[in-house]
Amino acid sequence: MSSRSRLTKMTESSANKLLNGDACNRTINEKKSSKNGFVKSHCLFQQPHKYRRTVEKNQNVTPSSSLYKKPFVESFEETPLLVAVLTYMGYGILTIFGYLRDFLRHWNIEKCHVAQEREEQKDFVPLYQDFENFYTRNLYMRIRDNWNRPICSVPGAKIDLVDRVSHNYNWTFEHTGKVVKDVINLGSYNYLGFAENTGACVDASIEVTQKYGVGVGSTRCEMGNMDIHEELEQLVARFLGVESAMTFGMGFATNSMNIPVLTGKGCLILSDELNHASLVLGVRLSGSTIRVFKHNNMQSLEKMLRDAIVHGQPRTHRPWKKILIVVEGIYSMEGSIVRLPEIIALKKRYKAYLYLDEAHSIGALGPNGRGVVDYFDLDSKDVDIMMGTFTKSFGASGGYIGGKKELIDYLRHHSHSALYATSMPPPVVQQIITSMKIIMGEDGTTLGADRIRQLSENTTYFRRKLHDMGFIIYGNDHSPVVPMMLYMPAKIGAFGREMLKRNIGTVVVGFPATPIIESRARFCLSALHTREMLDTALQAISEVGELLQLKYSRHQQPHPSLEWTSEDSQLQD
Amino acid sequence: MALGDYWKQLSWFYYQYLLVTALYMLEPWERTVFNSLLISVAGMAVYTGYVFMPQHIMAILHYFEVVQ
Repeated sequence: MSSRSRLTKMTESSANKLLNGDACNRTINEKKSSKNGFVKSHCLFQQPHKYRRTVEKNQNVTPSSSLYKKPFVESFEETPLLVAVLTYMGYGILTIFGYLRDFLRHWNIEKCHVAQEREEQKDFVPLYQDFENFYTRNLYMRIRDNWNRPICSVPGAKIDLVDRVSHNYNWTFEHTGKVVKDVINLGSYNYLGFAENTGACVDASIEVTQKYGVGVGSTRCEMGNMDIHEELEQLVARFLGVESAMTFGMGFATNSMNIPVLTGKGCLILSDELNHASLVLGVRLSGSTIRVFKHNNMQSLEKMLRDAIVHGQPRTHRPWKKILIVVEGIYSMEGSIVRLPEIIALKKRYKAYLYLDEAHSIGALGPNGRGVVDYFDLDSKDVDIMMGTFTKSFGASGGYIGGKKELIDYLRHHSHSALYATSMPPPVVQQIITSMKIIMGEDGTTLGADRIRQLSENTTYFRRKLHDMGFIIYGNDHSPVVPMMLYMPAKIGAFGREMLKRNIGTVVVGFPATPIIESRARFCLSALHTREMLDTALQAISEVGELLQLKYSRHQQPHPSLEWTSEDSQLQD
Repeated sequence: MALGDYWKQLSWFYYQYLLVTALYMLEPWERTVFNSLLISVAGMAVYTGYVFMPQHIMAILHYFEVVQ
């Protein structure tokens, strides 16, 4: 404990050395501590001193610019005040009408389509009275036709949707029998375009299906461990640059079933504000103490680490058994990228462990497609537990965890998913093996590198164009997930429907997944989107933006822009 | 034709009104209820203004001793 409480003055060069794990020159400063034991001005990452009143909040505050080799530009423009007031007014009107409809349903003036308690249960604690159910009955149902749209083709760059119509305001749907063809798909997580039904991946999967069948029929621990599983795990370990890896049949289950194995009572988990539901579930199931730090905010994280080390466990003040920092690579609702160099510097200084969930960033970021670690040009040995999924960039399903050999051997015997869940089906395994080899370039073609480059170009072009049109876009300039703010509840439904009329399929997100006034439309770009498709999509988005008055952004509009040139690509040849 | 343009502009304004007040999401009978409530309250305010504004203006002018 004494070595942790020794206070060190950090300079930029020593910050660099700390990153490389070398010993650095320590100078001991005597500073008086304040009453609660928290000593200021010795933190690695200070608060910025000047308070600037700008329109943008959370703009790229990079105090240690030596940690970042490329500029880190993120923007989350503030909600305009008039728009916020009008949004609350809209929700107020909808709430009043919601109460009116609930009253009519209760007194049986109107037929009730929604789940209700039985007569005998009416005196018990009510099941459907909380705000979530009220919201579902009265707000979600009215625009429900924007979600759960049935798809009847492969989810590539263009998609076919089943045409459906509702005669009782979205309580029930009927299929008309027609199919809406060639809808531009801006909603599927298909970053490198491996969700396809022709090509090398599919041929290999067909062969493997003919050899092994489709089902496995057992768990990994019993009889479900095939040689292709072993091959896949070695390939994943090589891809990530770690000693060993393990794969699981389901991405959600990878998080929720393995975090309880790694930590327990007496451990501390510091998780980001906006972590995914699977991480939150895993962290809660583990039984450790959970503390939440502000999204991507290194000062908040450092303060929590210092408090944890100085004060220890809540009542006994014993030191924590383990401190685990849980973050994601790309946060899909915000489009922001984690500040990995700073987190690794913090982790090394305060001796914590890092769990990185690269569900969206593996394959989509970095010059070689190896994820966030590759994007920041760091060493993958610094991240203790690298987790990811195969759903987004590899066109398959399932998840993996990579790390040191002892960790993975422990997981093989103790993970709930390995003991009780069926292992991955053989065609899916082969799809991942083939697509990973293509990305690494081991199949002999340049298809992987081409797709990574195409995705990066699409991202830069699309984000720049949307920004120039005047929409509010959240997130980092290099993330292929583009959230566009809508704010008002009626515009959520209107945007989804108008885009579908113009043959573009988008995903709109509202309350439980986002804060109540910050509803958004989320575009997921793909390497299969050609320039013409993006132009069509941008044209339609601009039209719909004019029609619905969505161009809220208050920064200056630049010149009618110069054509995109190849210098804008962020990849170096 | 100018009347057609005005009609288009008016219907665009009505669409914006529906979007901002979230009436876009409500069923037609709910829109009727809300619109009639709004129009009746606005109508009552205009009528009250029409009836009482001369008296109020005379009282203000009397207070500031502009007119006796």
